[in-house]
Parts: sequence; structure tokens; C-alpha cells
Amino acid sequence: MSVGAGAPEKHVMVPIERMVSRILMIGIAISVTLMVIGLVLGFFNSQGMPKHVVPLADLPSLLRAFDPAAYLSLGLIVLIATPFVRVLGSVVAFAREGDRRYVLITAVVLAVMCLSVVLGRA
Amino acid sequence: MAVIVGILLVAFVAGVFGSMLGVGGGVIVVPVLSLAFGVPIKTAIATSIVCVIATSSMAQTTFAARGMTNMRLGMFLEVATTVGAVAGGVTAVLIDGRVLQAAFAVVLFYVAWQMGRRRGDIVPVESTVMPSTYYDPAEGRQVSYGVHGLGTGFVLSFCAGNVSGLLGVGGGAFKVPIMNLLMGVPLKATIATSNLMIGVTAATGAAIFYGRGYMDPYWAVPAALGILAGARLGPRLAIRLRAKVLIRVFEIVLAVFGVLMLLKALGVGV
Repeated sequence: MSVGAGAPEKHVMVPIERMVSRILMIGIAISVTLMVIGLVLGFFNSQGMPKHVVPLADLPSLLRAFDPAAYLSLGLIVLIATPFVRVLGSVVAFAREGDRRYVLITAVVLAVMCLSVVLGRA
Repeated sequence: MAVIVGILLVAFVAGVFGSMLGVGGGVIVVPVLSLAFGVPIKTAIATSIVCVIATSSMAQTTFAARGMTNMRLGMFLEVATTVGAVAGGVTAVLIDGRVLQAAFAVVLFYVAWQMGRRRGDIVPVESTVMPSTYYDPAEGRQVSYGVHGLGTGFVLSFCAGNVSGLLGVGGGAFKVPIMNLLMGVPLKATIATSNLMIGVTAATGAAIFYGRGYMDPYWAVPAALGILAGARLGPRLAIRLRAKVLIRVFEIVLAVFGVLMLLKALGVGV
């Protein structure tokens, strides 16, 4: 173990770290915004807070109708999608580094994640 | 309204501890929702998976910025955990809730026992396998280490992924001991890397639960918001605290909820 007494506390992020933290930050911001909109809409909704998520197919029309469940659902979808985008971003970051092995490893992870979505719809 | 505030607070606490320990907060959210709020176990698990994703995303913005996450190790083990999670997520729809709860308790006890046997953190050994260096403010020094036991870690990570798909604990309760005890990763780097991995495993599980209609925004949205706030604080605590303290907290949190979950599975009113 190396010991540095005057070690710098400020870490300089490598590209993969910068990519990952940026994607996650943006995903969180969008998701929180949608959820807060949904909660505010639900607060003024006569039927109270929704108890079910909206199927993907109904999402566009319900969003236009300012349905609270649609905004809450989309907020959850963005939150769930963020790790998918993060892994995709990691593929790009490893490719830029020229690390072929990790491009492959990360692509496999992404493929399995997508497979799980397909299975879940079945 | 009072229920929503209650969920927010519980989730905040879960977010702090989940991100501080790398277990994702599902460990706290599942039992509290199912015991205190009477939420059906599968809805509670769906909610907790959302919480795990929220913990992972938010915590990583701190851990990655500090260089504590071992990105390559995380990616490598994610191959195993995602495959395991797909298998587990499909099984969860088919298995009885009681059996899930009992299994949950057993996992918690086992991990608490494993971590508690050791008094402090492992001694890091430098090598060329997925090497990493980070600054530990609690120790006041740079810590450098290499990873070993990749094969064993890979196989056990498959099991961790399966458990997370089944129970919604994100498997973090498994991943932390695997990396720390078996793969030579110092505790704080383990917590950071586990935090990264659990988001991926949970997202695959969440996609399945969403598709099956177990997701309920009434519980999931306030829980996610509370978690996000808590997971801002947790990693900062983890970075500042000594490893010995983190291990002790890890043990206590897991053991307490193991007991509660076992009682629930046995049908005892808590």
C-alpha cells in the first residue's frame, strides 16, 4: 500500500468517471422534475394520488391530458432507464479509450439488460 | 398525505444507510413498507427496486467524482449480476411471498455474521489486476489495491444478481462481502463499486416489475424522492467514517431487519 501524507483530496475524474456521473446527474434531474409535476397534479386531482403506473402505450395521450399518473410513471421510467443509458455511455467511454475488452464486456451487460425488458413484457 | 410524508422520511433514512453501506436501501424499504404500512410484498419489492436505482444513481455522482468506484471491476461483475437478475426476476413472479421473506431473512443473517467475524477492513495488496487508487480522508492517505479472485467473484455475483431479482435487495448485501472479503477490495471502494452495480441489476428487475404491473407510484414516487435526498448524504458519511465503524453499522442494520423479516414470514404480528 502506498502512503502519501500530503495526498490531494481533490480527485481529477478520468473520462469514464466523468461520463457516468454526468449521465446519472441528468437522469436524476429529469426524473425528479417529472415526479414533482406528477405529485403537484395529483394533489389537485379529485381522485387523489394514482395507485397504478400507466402502460407505455397510453403515456403520450395521458401526458397531454396532464394526468398525474402519467407524469409519475414517466418519472419512474426515466429513473429506471438511467442505468441503461449509463451502461451505454460506458460503452462509448471505453471505446474512446480504445479498450476493446471492456467495450465487449459493457455491451454484453447492456444486451442482457435489454433482454430482461423483453422478458418482462412477455 | 401523512402516509406520503412518512414514506419520504423512511426513504430518506434508507437512502442515507443504503448509499453509505452500498446495499441500496432496499434492505430497509422492503420490511418497513410490508411491516409498518402493510404493502403487499411484491409491491414493496417493486418499490424497493426503484429505491435501489435511485440510491445507485445519486450515490455514484459522489463516489465517481472521488475516484472511489472501480469502474472496470464493476462492469466485469455486472455481466454476472445482470444474468442472475433476469433469472431471479422471472422466478419472483412465480414464488409465494412468504418463501421470499424467509429467504430474505436468511440472506441478511448470513451476511451480518460474515461481516461481524472481522474486526476491521482488509489489508489492500497492490497488483496489476484492475488496479485502483483513491484518497481516504478518514485514514488521511492514498489507498492503492489490485483485485484477485475474479472467477469466484464472478460466480458468486451471479447468485447475488439472482437474489436481487428475487427479493429486491439489489444484491448489495451480497456484493459488499464478496468484493471485500473474497476479492481484496478495500471496504470504501467496495461500497462505491457495489453502489454502481446495484443500479444496473435493479434496473433490469424494475423493467420486469413495471411490465407486470407491480409498480405503484403511490409508494414508489415518494420513496424515490426520499431516497435521492438521503443518497446525497450517505456517500459523504461513508467517505468520512472509519471502515471499522461502517462494518459495525452494516452488521446491525442487516441483523435487525433479518429478525423483523423472519417474524413476518412466520406470521407473527410485529
